[in-house]
Amino acid sequence: MGRIKAIIRKEFLHILRDPRSLTLVFIIPLIQIFILGYSVSYDLDRVEVALIDLSQGGTSRQLARAFAASPVFQVRSRSADGGALSPAEAEDMLRQGLVREVIVIPAGFDRLAAAGRRAEVGLIIDGSDVNVANLVYQYSERVILDFNAARMGSAGLLKIGTQMHFNPEARSRFFFIPGLVAVILLMISAMLTSLSITRERETGSLSLLFISPLKSVEIIVGKTIPYIFVALLDGAVILLFARFWFGIPFRGALPVLLAFGLLYIVAGLALGILISTVAPTQTTAMLAALLITMLPSFLLSGFIFPLDSLSPVLRAISYVVPATYFLRIIRGVILKGAELRHFLFDGAMLAAYSLLLLAVAIRKFAGQRKAAQ
Amino acid sequence: MSGAAPAIEVRDLRKDFGRFQAVKGVSFDVAGGEIVGFLGPNGAGKTTTIKMITGLLKITSGTVRVEGLDIREHPAAARRKMGYMSQKFSLYPLLTALENIDFFAGISGLAPGERRRHAARIRQDLPEAVLRQKVQDIPPGIRQKVAMFVCLMPDPGIILLDEPTSGVDPEARRLFWNDIYGLKTQGKTLLVSTHNLDEAEYCDRILILHNGELIAAGEPDELLRRQGKADIEELFKDAIHDHGQN
Repeated sequence: MGRIKAIIRKEFLHILRDPRSLTLVFIIPLIQIFILGYSVSYDLDRVEVALIDLSQGGTSRQLARAFAASPVFQVRSRSADGGALSPAEAEDMLRQGLVREVIVIPAGFDRLAAAGRRAEVGLIIDGSDVNVANLVYQYSERVILDFNAARMGSAGLLKIGTQMHFNPEARSRFFFIPGLVAVILLMISAMLTSLSITRERETGSLSLLFISPLKSVEIIVGKTIPYIFVALLDGAVILLFARFWFGIPFRGALPVLLAFGLLYIVAGLALGILISTVAPTQTTAMLAALLITMLPSFLLSGFIFPLDSLSPVLRAISYVVPATYFLRIIRGVILKGAELRHFLFDGAMLAAYSLLLLAVAIRKFAGQRKAAQ
Repeated sequence: MSGAAPAIEVRDLRKDFGRFQAVKGVSFDVAGGEIVGFLGPNGAGKTTTIKMITGLLKITSGTVRVEGLDIREHPAAARRKMGYMSQKFSLYPLLTALENIDFFAGISGLAPGERRRHAARIRQDLPEAVLRQKVQDIPPGIRQKVAMFVCLMPDPGIILLDEPTSGVDPEARRLFWNDIYGLKTQGKTLLVSTHNLDEAEYCDRILILHNGELIAAGEPDELLRRQGKADIEELFKDAIHDHGQN
């Protein structure tokens, strides 16, 4: 008993005197409960949907108003030039991920309704996120059922025609695997550079680089470029595996994905360099890279929980998570066959993010080198 | 010593890590062309002092001048005058000896012709088969020779060697000191730290560091004569003891 007591005492002393253990025990669970508490939800709020009214009659307008009045939906029925939204524009918005659903009120809808016949409302739903697609369908169905109930006896009831776009069989694998590619790629990129630099610090070779005539920017660029190729190759291997093992379709153009992937990888590598400026050892660097890349990418990028379901604070945080942008791109290109023009905003954000992170990483690295002088 | 600036001039050098004082106001000069041994037990502050001289560690207070250049004011120019071999040899273990040499020649900005000349020179000293082995697979004595070669490639006038003979067998140590003498005859200045007290006999002058303070300095023979000691070990023990008393 005395021997066990000695171990117990020693462990308590160790825990109390080791700030890292204390952080692990108390701070991380608090952060987790905070983030998870706000993000573990599939309830959608203000879902963007497009509405095309090809009938332009009294009943169709009433139905459009019913959708607009729903607190769940944010209805877009006008194009950028102020005119009525065309089917092609709505399809483009769906492909781009700007809307989750296109509600189509067909021509002749009002005539059928007035004749007491069953008019059909078309729902074209983005099936790339199966959970969200099911919710969107249920919310839309509720609006239409309420509309039918209000019209009971006055005219024919509306029926729903549904099309699940991009993932007609509603396979959740189609949704998760491209997301996993994005998360893994960021994690690997950050680990590559953070481990490379901390390893050099541990072995002492970083000292030789520091006292060499090399500029800090030369060290960083020289260290980053080989890992861009490694990470790109890694990404290609994961994608091939996803395509041929899991049967995930690849409907878009590979060069588009590569171009955006390159920006995303640079962001990950720069994040790794930043981590290496504060992590003293390879173990710390690896843990930090895992924590910093995986947690936000899983919870705050739209990978598992839709961004529409996040609280405003977490939604704001999601904008600084690089996976938020790349996830839209990879799902769009792989599942929806989206093109370069669909992701100009996400691409610009990724480019800005990568350059900013790289600049901060170089500055911090140079600062660390200068601090020695 | 002539009126010219010393190769290395250290004045009231201090390094604090939080409350811990690693180096406590050390002052010394290293004249051009001499071999100065930096002696002291582990934790005496030798590596910390050398790192401050090379500009790898921030100086808390005091000054370091390298051929008259303040390391804090002119770090790049001062560093160009120095070659530094760290305690860990700092070679890339997964690269071969030749690949390491090529890499360090590359970052030193040496022209391809010069790089080839350096590679040819080391081939005279070490067998090709060894040079083509990964550094992690070659014995410590040869690793040390390669690391020394790398440190000398930019042809610096001042060479700082931090515990170069640690973990090396006695024969390799003897050969290594032969190389150091060879460098002295070429006019190089050497500051060599070691905790092997018997290596003091190889030095023109020694500096004994203990608990971050310089407790003895001078030519080995003169120090022994002055203190009436038979060997460096005895001198070292007494110096530490006397220092502890004060």
